[in-house]
Amino acid sequence: MTATRTPLPEAVASVRSTHAAGGMWSVYRAERRKLASQLAIRLLALVCLLGPFVFAAILKVQSGSPTDTLYGVWVHSSGFAVSLVLLAFAGSWGFPIVAGIVAGDIFSSEDRYGTWKMVLTRSCTRRELFVGKLLAATTFSLGLVLLTTVSSLVAGMLLVGDQSLVSLSGTLFSPGRSLGLVLVSWLVCAVPALAFTSLAVLFSIATRNGIMGVIGPGLVALAMQLLLLVGSGIWAHMLLVGSAFNGWHPLFSTHPYYGPLIVGIAVSLVWTIVCLGASWLILRRRDFAGVPVARRQGWAMPVRVTLALAGAIALLAIASNWGPNGVTAARLQASLTPTFNNLTLLQQRELGRAVPAGVKLNIVPTCSRRGSSPRGPGDWVCTMNVFIPQPGAVPFQQTPVTYDVSVQSDGCYKAQSPPAFIGNQLMGNAQGHNVVNPLYTIYGCFDTM
Amino acid sequence: MRASSLVKRFDATCAVDGVDLVVQEGEVRGLLGPNGAGKTTLLRMLFGLVQPDHGSIELFDRPLDASDSASLDGVAGFVEDPSFYPYLSGRANLELLAELDRNDARAQIDGLLELVGLRTRAADRVNGYSTGMRQRLGIAAALLRAPRLLLLDEPTGGLDPAGVREVGTLVRELSSQGAAIVLSSHQIGEVEELCDSFTVLRRGRVVWNGSAAQLRAQAPAPGYALATSDDQQALAIAAREPGVEAGVAQGGNPAHGGDLTHGGDLAHGGDLTITVQEGYLDPYVLALGRAGVAVRRLELLLSPLESMFFALAGEPPSDDRPGRSEQAAASR
Repeated sequence: MTATRTPLPEAVASVRSTHAAGGMWSVYRAERRKLASQLAIRLLALVCLLGPFVFAAILKVQSGSPTDTLYGVWVHSSGFAVSLVLLAFAGSWGFPIVAGIVAGDIFSSEDRYGTWKMVLTRSCTRRELFVGKLLAATTFSLGLVLLTTVSSLVAGMLLVGDQSLVSLSGTLFSPGRSLGLVLVSWLVCAVPALAFTSLAVLFSIATRNGIMGVIGPGLVALAMQLLLLVGSGIWAHMLLVGSAFNGWHPLFSTHPYYGPLIVGIAVSLVWTIVCLGASWLILRRRDFAGVPVARRQGWAMPVRVTLALAGAIALLAIASNWGPNGVTAARLQASLTPTFNNLTLLQQRELGRAVPAGVKLNIVPTCSRRGSSPRGPGDWVCTMNVFIPQPGAVPFQQTPVTYDVSVQSDGCYKAQSPPAFIGNQLMGNAQGHNVVNPLYTIYGCFDTM
Repeated sequence: MRASSLVKRFDATCAVDGVDLVVQEGEVRGLLGPNGAGKTTLLRMLFGLVQPDHGSIELFDRPLDASDSASLDGVAGFVEDPSFYPYLSGRANLELLAELDRNDARAQIDGLLELVGLRTRAADRVNGYSTGMRQRLGIAAALLRAPRLLLLDEPTGGLDPAGVREVGTLVRELSSQGAAIVLSSHQIGEVEELCDSFTVLRRGRVVWNGSAAQLRAQAPAPGYALATSDDQQALAIAAREPGVEAGVAQGGNPAHGGDLTHGGDLAHGGDLTITVQEGYLDPYVLALGRAGVAVRRLELLLSPLESMFFALAGEPPSDDRPGRSEQAAASR
């Protein structure tokens, strides 16, 4: 307050309340500005922008590939596979981490900085603050998903190329179809990403603790990853929002099925509604009663939330066998056989041999599960007995090809055969270039519902 | 603003217990009480931050409704220390708040920053601001809303003496424009010149409510610490002089934390203290001079309002003496 200050009437009395409609949008604009000015958010945007390029560049300079991830074996063959591998990583860890950083502190930071009393005494209600902040967090979450989508596609196409993508049925998808499916897959994953954003908001409001808000969604994602490995019932697994990130897998079959996709979206929406409903109830009833009371409550809430979460995870673990077991030998054989057939034809074409379109090999498959139970996710052994016509007394030459198959509860699997059967991961094509041996690692999916 | 029968409990503690409060247009009301008296909880209820368990609040003749964004129109101020986003500049903080207010105040931000003396530091992040600068920014944030009711919790905490004076000037200017103002403080010395009326709280209850004139009329005689060339004789003269009551405070100078009650002994390091009715101080000092007793120090210990406040609030004066405000604010 200086000697040469502005006269009070001029500075203050000229302020006129306009009260334009939509306090929610005022909050939204303010929150957007706050988020954009935070270093963590800027760094996250940088990672989303440059991360795919770094990933693709590393793949470019080394021969290995992340074969454990769906489409991992194809990252040197098609830029679309690069984007899909990044989508698989993002679904497991990336989206929950993004949700935590963007939304996990958006409410609790007001507690940390003591600014609730400032914002709640302006011309906006709690409801407007809640919705405005939520919209801002959603905008940034979706914005970062979109940024990663574009960045991963551009990185894949620039550094690998826009070659056709091998489908999960062993056929080739044109670049146009591949691009469309990749975009749809990222779009589909935006829905469970929103569910994780809502979960981060719940952590932020319920615990009033920024650390819990930021790491909470990541911990839940970890718990869900572990739960997906436990049990064989499809219902409990479908209730996990983490499994919704895999809903895009069946789209890459020649005969796509949409059950997991629809269920995943529905489950994500239910998670979103429940998390946001609980968040609003807590915020609406809250007294902003000052440091001593808030601190006392601040210790109680994280403990309650952690206990509730632990209880929910324990229940899901107990219920992990709930529902029918959809992984059976018949289904696996029915999926693996045509895929193996198509990939064999693809291999032969790569080797420069003329293969008539639509030809079918005479294959007799046998699949059996390792372990005590004859059905369920886990490790399987499948033998493809290929009968090749030959002249002479014995009309067919039987060639058995054995695969170790790792099947997940959602029906997606990875099959690998020892090099002694089908050769190495890379093979020389007709032009003398090294290409991926299509039969070395087989990815596929079948409907478990 | 009219609050009636407000009650708020936190677990077993009754923070506010049946408080009535009315503030008229143009009135500056001091809300006084020691720490824990319920002042801040009361302000939180007036802002709608805390729901009262019982009672009602009317702002500008309308019931306070936290779900109505227009309910706090014309109301501004802060509770406890003004808080801001530390990673944003002072100007950016005000811009955000103006955005939330949805008024045309954005254009006035420069003027307000000038007004509170932060123009040159407006681009700096708030995490580099001192307590006093945050206080000034808090006042600017309140003025952004062109308040007709200003609720300020310890507004001078952390301010230097010049800042305290300027807050006083601001409050007076706003009140002269018709704004109703509530100043919460646990230091009556800082607000006694500003306020037209006072409400004194103790343990959540109103223990005194009235105008400044009424409070002064009921206030006891001011107390002084006295040091002379002959304290024994000064004590004896005080006993003869009308309107003067003298004693010896034990435990050192009351101005520096000693006990004001008269139970000490001059021979054992006690300090001479006197309470003097209005108009009787000069005759007493002249009487000391005539008796050859030199006055070496005469220090006002408690103003009449402070004496009244401490009597009402039931708080010992040692922690709340003027001049200790910065220390008190820092400890808060």
